[in-house]
Amino acid sequence: MPYIFCYPERCTGCRACELACSGAHEGIFGPSNARIRAIREEPAIDIAITCRQCAKPPCATACPTAAIRKRRDGLVEVDGSRCIGCGACAEACPFGAIHVFKGIAIKCDLCGGDPACVRQCAPDALKLMTSEQVAAEKRREHADVLMRPALRKLGVK
Amino acid sequence: MMVFPYKGYTGRYLRADLTRGKIAELPLEREWARHYIGGSGMASRILYDEVPPKVDPLSPKNLLIFATGPITGTVYPPSGRYCVVTKAPLTGIWGEAHSGGYFGPDLKYAGYDLIVIQGRSAKPVYLMIDDKKVELRSAKQLWGKNTSETTTMIEEEFGDRRVRVACIGPAGERLVKFACIMNDRSRAAGRTGAGAVMGSKNLKAVAVRGTGAVEVADFDRVWKLTEEAHERYTRGEWGKASHDSLYRYGTPGLVKWENEIGRLPTKGHYAGVFEYADDIGPDRFEREFITHRRSCMNCRIQCKKVSYVRSGPYAGTLSEGPEYETIVALGSNCMIRDFPAVMRANQLCNLYGMDTISCGGAVSFAMECFERGALSERELGMQLRWGDGDAMVKLVEMIAARKEIGNVLAEGVRAAAKRIGKGSGRWAIHVKGLEISGQDGRPHQSAGLTHAISVIGGAHLRALSSLDELDYRDTIIVRYGKAKSKELGDRLSTKYKGMLVKDVEDLYAIVDALITCKYGTMWPPVYYFDDYARILPAVTGIKEFGRVKEVRMAAERIVNLKRAFNARLGLDRKDDTLPERFLKNPMPHGPAKGRVVDLEPMLDEYYRERGWDVRTGLQKRSTLKKFGLADVARDLAKYKRLAKG
Repeated sequence: MPYIFCYPERCTGCRACELACSGAHEGIFGPSNARIRAIREEPAIDIAITCRQCAKPPCATACPTAAIRKRRDGLVEVDGSRCIGCGACAEACPFGAIHVFKGIAIKCDLCGGDPACVRQCAPDALKLMTSEQVAAEKRREHADVLMRPALRKLGVK
Repeated sequence: MMVFPYKGYTGRYLRADLTRGKIAELPLEREWARHYIGGSGMASRILYDEVPPKVDPLSPKNLLIFATGPITGTVYPPSGRYCVVTKAPLTGIWGEAHSGGYFGPDLKYAGYDLIVIQGRSAKPVYLMIDDKKVELRSAKQLWGKNTSETTTMIEEEFGDRRVRVACIGPAGERLVKFACIMNDRSRAAGRTGAGAVMGSKNLKAVAVRGTGAVEVADFDRVWKLTEEAHERYTRGEWGKASHDSLYRYGTPGLVKWENEIGRLPTKGHYAGVFEYADDIGPDRFEREFITHRRSCMNCRIQCKKVSYVRSGPYAGTLSEGPEYETIVALGSNCMIRDFPAVMRANQLCNLYGMDTISCGGAVSFAMECFERGALSERELGMQLRWGDGDAMVKLVEMIAARKEIGNVLAEGVRAAAKRIGKGSGRWAIHVKGLEISGQDGRPHQSAGLTHAISVIGGAHLRALSSLDELDYRDTIIVRYGKAKSKELGDRLSTKYKGMLVKDVEDLYAIVDALITCKYGTMWPPVYYFDDYARILPAVTGIKEFGRVKEVRMAAERIVNLKRAFNARLGLDRKDDTLPERFLKNPMPHGPAKGRVVDLEPMLDEYYRERGWDVRTGLQKRSTLKKFGLADVARDLAKYKRLAKG
């Protein structure tokens, strides 16, 4: 199941993702109804955080009315008609990726597969990826580090 | 309360009377939106109407206006901005400063388009806006704190780091005439001394937390235009050019280019080529200092950089910036190649709350005074040689503290030169009292005209053109036709530059009303009136703004109203000039060697294009009437500041 991954070293904290999300879901522009949030820590950290579409979503486990379920295709979804807006999901989520807005829990729904935030991310910090793809990138990076001295010996820069 | 008929706006604004400690929430005037759009355009009507000529900028009667525009807070980029408009203490005339960060959008999300502040509090206060809850709180514990400490303390008082703080530092409290307002720690509403106005009102900060949203008239259209804008900013020829300079290096990327064309102000604007430009240039900046790339709210250009000095006497200096203008003002213009010292001074200016351009102007002025014998080592308390980074840093501290000679320089170079005498006025580099920004009209003639006519004084952001600076021939032909394109593209030619600067000034009047960033209009020169005639009606629902002619009318109305504010104070053609360094001293070396600014013919053309009297530079009744400013014409006539015709 892919989720919206953020490269923190690329994120600039412009929060275009928040406005794109707010627009795509609510038709207005306000970060407080965005399903993705860019967090700025001084002096030099910016990162966007949203739902990771967990395999065993703690928000679903915590929901007293079974309004949150893991769909067969992997998306973690809120059924607005069953949600009572209690916020137990927000307490359970380790990432702060779900919260109650105007009485209903809201979270990333991947915009049906083509997320607005990813499209509007100027520094390409957001990418729709599976954990396997994330791990593959990490492996590649690690291999590069390991191989660098050997390559240098061969005269490869 | 009647619902405001236009979208994009919140339809409400705040009026805070600090003398009485009262705050009122008022409906926005419809006419302000229709005639002046927003931002500094809207603020210009308020300031013109409510601050008559006799008002001292540091008196309770002066207004301090925080303004946003209809685009602010929407997804249309780059829209995370606000401006501050006031009668400026540094110059005594129209004062305006713009800033990015997060503050502007949050003011909209809290539900307000503007904040108009008047009066003077008996004790230090700060204005807290927590959505609909608005109150003045004691700033006793904040007084004396720097801008970063102030921000942290207000965050702690709120118990929430999502609060956006615009505040002054010790320089603003001490009424340093070029004190600025800092927001979101590192963004500055820099020029003309709005921080001193805040200090004079005993207002330490404005803190905003907004949880609402901005609605637009035609969501689908705004969405489509935003996706197009995103493409233009990030892909294609312009997007790539922008990414390779502004994203990669930030504005310091300019240091290299300006040095190549001989337009990098050096030694108090004496020269335009700095021998050691590479030491304060973009390659070194990236290699040694950039640790993180940042952005203002909802931008696609992303020019902000966090820099960190790892070694040497300034090791540990960690701050955002320095920007190109800061590197010029505190670097090349002081002949300083010690980049870490420039970074330290930049950080100090941010913490104390001072405009780096004017502060750097004061330092280079003092250096020239020392080198020419107008200020002695005893008067300065140190030697102040060109190129001495450590002395520069010390002097920045002294200015912020108004200590010894710092107290003289804190008044700005025009006043300091009067006080010091000994002919030092000749190297006080300012226009209308505002220290000149990092351009030079000799290698870039239209930049000379820009500095001379700028409504705030020696600044670039009201009318600087990159079309001739970089000879963007294709864009020039599209906008102005083929016949004039050769001269227009030649930065050393004065021909048609009056027309060019007038057109760019009009364009920026719209940019400053929306409010968006100059990046995208100034450089890369992508956005033009037709783009704004698309986005404005989509956001506001005001159909007239769909016609380029109407948008241009609004632009000229705003430019004329700001000009009238200054005309009423006695300003005219004699003030639209430059220091003799630009007019009489030929450029000593570089690509523009031997050139001076040929200002008068450009001024003549500019006034003609504007429909103003060429001899006096005063406005005519017929011109003002054309833009719906008949009342302003009557007012100017009363002050005998109206030309015939």
